[in-house]
Amino acid sequence: MEKLLPELVEVDRRTTLRWFAVFAAAPLAACGETARSAMWGGLKPISAPTIGRNPDMLKPTVPWPLTMTRAERVACAALSDLILPAGAGASSASQVGVPAFIDEWISAPYETQQAHRALIVPGLAWLDEEAMKRGGSTFAASTPAVQASIADDIAYAGKVKPGMEKPAAFFARMRSLTLGAYYTTPEGWKQIGYVGNRPYTGPYKGPTPEAMADIKRRVEAMGLTFV
Amino acid sequence: MADTYDAVVVGSGAGGGMSAYMLTQAGASVLMLEAGSDYDPNTTPMLNLQYNAPLRGTSTPDKPFGYYDATVGGGWDVPGEPYTTAKGSNFMWYRTRMLGGRTNHWARNSFRAGPYDFKPKTRDGLGFDWPISYEDLEPWYDRAEKLVGVYGANTGLENHPSAGPGVLHDPPAFRVWEHFLAAGGKPLGIPVVPARRAVLTRNMDSRLACYWASPCGRGCSIGSAFQSTTSLIPWAKKTGKLTVQTGAMVYEVVLDAKGKASGVRYIDKASGAHREAKGRVVVLAASTGETARILLNSKPNGRSEGLANTAGQVGRNLTDTVGASLSAYFPALEGRPIYNEDGAMGLHAYIPFWQYKEVAAGKFDFPRGYHMEIGGGFGEPGIGGFDSYDGYGAGLRAEVNKRYGARIGFTQRGEMIPNDKTFCELDPVAKDKYGIPVLRFSFAWSDHELNQVKHFQNAVKQLVDKLGGRLLTEVLPPQKAISTGGEIIHEVGTARMGNNAKDSSTDSFGRTWDVDNLYLADGAVFCSNPHKNPTITILTLAMRQGDHIAARLAKGEL
Repeated sequence: MEKLLPELVEVDRRTTLRWFAVFAAAPLAACGETARSAMWGGLKPISAPTIGRNPDMLKPTVPWPLTMTRAERVACAALSDLILPAGAGASSASQVGVPAFIDEWISAPYETQQAHRALIVPGLAWLDEEAMKRGGSTFAASTPAVQASIADDIAYAGKVKPGMEKPAAFFARMRSLTLGAYYTTPEGWKQIGYVGNRPYTGPYKGPTPEAMADIKRRVEAMGLTFV
Repeated sequence: MADTYDAVVVGSGAGGGMSAYMLTQAGASVLMLEAGSDYDPNTTPMLNLQYNAPLRGTSTPDKPFGYYDATVGGGWDVPGEPYTTAKGSNFMWYRTRMLGGRTNHWARNSFRAGPYDFKPKTRDGLGFDWPISYEDLEPWYDRAEKLVGVYGANTGLENHPSAGPGVLHDPPAFRVWEHFLAAGGKPLGIPVVPARRAVLTRNMDSRLACYWASPCGRGCSIGSAFQSTTSLIPWAKKTGKLTVQTGAMVYEVVLDAKGKASGVRYIDKASGAHREAKGRVVVLAASTGETARILLNSKPNGRSEGLANTAGQVGRNLTDTVGASLSAYFPALEGRPIYNEDGAMGLHAYIPFWQYKEVAAGKFDFPRGYHMEIGGGFGEPGIGGFDSYDGYGAGLRAEVNKRYGARIGFTQRGEMIPNDKTFCELDPVAKDKYGIPVLRFSFAWSDHELNQVKHFQNAVKQLVDKLGGRLLTEVLPPQKAISTGGEIIHEVGTARMGNNAKDSSTDSFGRTWDVDNLYLADGAVFCSNPHKNPTITILTLAMRQGDHIAARLAKGEL
């Protein structure tokens, strides 16, 4: 059995989520799929089972099959790790399962998610094509310098390279989803500082003395009266 | 099921739940008919992670308020049960279709209407006065709030009445960002005060105090956040006097030869069979829209206008709450110390309307008030909250951390005044899958509401400026900023109460003028739609009505 690439790792929650499709058999070669980026906006929406009105909320399942090809998943992992790389005690996006989640997201048979799929599937193909042009490899196999050169053309609002508006929209969507997927994981909570969802009895504890002193200071520095 | 009951109650939410509770406590036998499915609050996903839900629990057409929202079966559209809108009108109609109705997922905001709110026409000449005053209702507010459990404080602010001694539960402490807003509001005269919510902060009967986690919209299995399915309905069942029939789609009230209500007809959704339920008194609490629909579809003895409609008021005077929102970013809140800000998972503080005097002096171009609901803090990150970033890599990560907890949202909840262009009626053609004629909605905002939105926008801008913030959302023209009719899910007024049969559908007890033993117990009877969120007033009116019906049953009047 082949060793799983990190982008194919399904994190713990997958034990509680039942997925119908396994994509591992799909071909790895992205280059073989010519110019999927030509499909910008032209992708037909997926039809698949939905959550329904009355799902079992205590045992959630994802009822639709995943649809990314292996090449798409690999490109997706590389881009999400460029957006959120590992560092300073933090996991990278792919280490907490972000690519698998984006696959789940764009495979959902709802209007919003299908609009995103129509951007992301051609976008991932475009990434590989662009990387081939600039460095002769797929995006995932490219050097950090090639990856950054592509990202720098599309990652900053107001500074998008002319003609790259579609790829920029794709990048923005990937960034939103990567951040959203990342910061909704237990690791993401730790990184951002969310310390809630912890029940306790007694009155609400309110701000810590440190937090109260801090806001009082800030408010007074603005010339306002703390109340 | 028995042959006949003392009372048939249609609906199981705030109005129906309270009605069943009051009547069974008084010893009456009650049949409760609910059009939706049964619901067990013990299945509430209390601490379950968004992380484990499909799409991180985001809103979908199947679950419009998110995967874990309590609403099961219903939503903005109900399969096979359409409604229509008149040409040029937009209207959104939320139907929960489940035991407990909307009480399972409401925000629990519980603001009493005040003296001005019951006599709006006297104040500004618009709309209708209620046939009761605040003073009439005050003891009932106290009683209802004591039973329900409401946290909050008495602020002494104009037209924001105090609750009686011992009624309110202690409000939770302000969080840092709420203190921050209060400091900014003070020099502007904009009050930021404790909010009132139907959430327990001390243990009461079988229910537990809030444990400071779990979004209330999921429902609350420990009973802290009020819903009829953890309180009124189980309490009524405990008397042995309540029978609950779910999947019962009531479509008409049946009258006997003397013109008294003898019961209702409904479709048993499971079998498709038409059935009749009999009672000495009939209480409709099916929701503002459905109650009007049942009345309009009830045409005994060829009365084409329907029941309780001699005055032609059924379906008229429909209103919703004025909704608009703005969001702002405050650099002064960047990098503040982390702590758990979940709290009661809803308002601890809010901004009640503060300019009644200016309104009375004719200084404004809108006649009625609004309040602001505020949201911010170190909340649980959601999948949808990350659209406004730039760049990638370590810089992006730092930016996310910097912004966390520095955003505050402001939501307007304002009073709409009834107008001639806003009503519901039976669609002359369309029927639902059971063959029951459906409602057609007409809806229009007037300048009264649009000018109020502009005032809200300006007030938020002032407050944001004072606190060195910047708006994240565009300030749209009021016509575009205002919510769609029905979207705030505060629709009321379709069979209003009044002083006489000539211009209203019911008396002050919700008893229809046309039929002595037919009562309405939901938002349909409202004469105005104060910016005070209707549920606590629905509960209070239903309690007062239940007491009145019980007394009449005891006297043999019904």
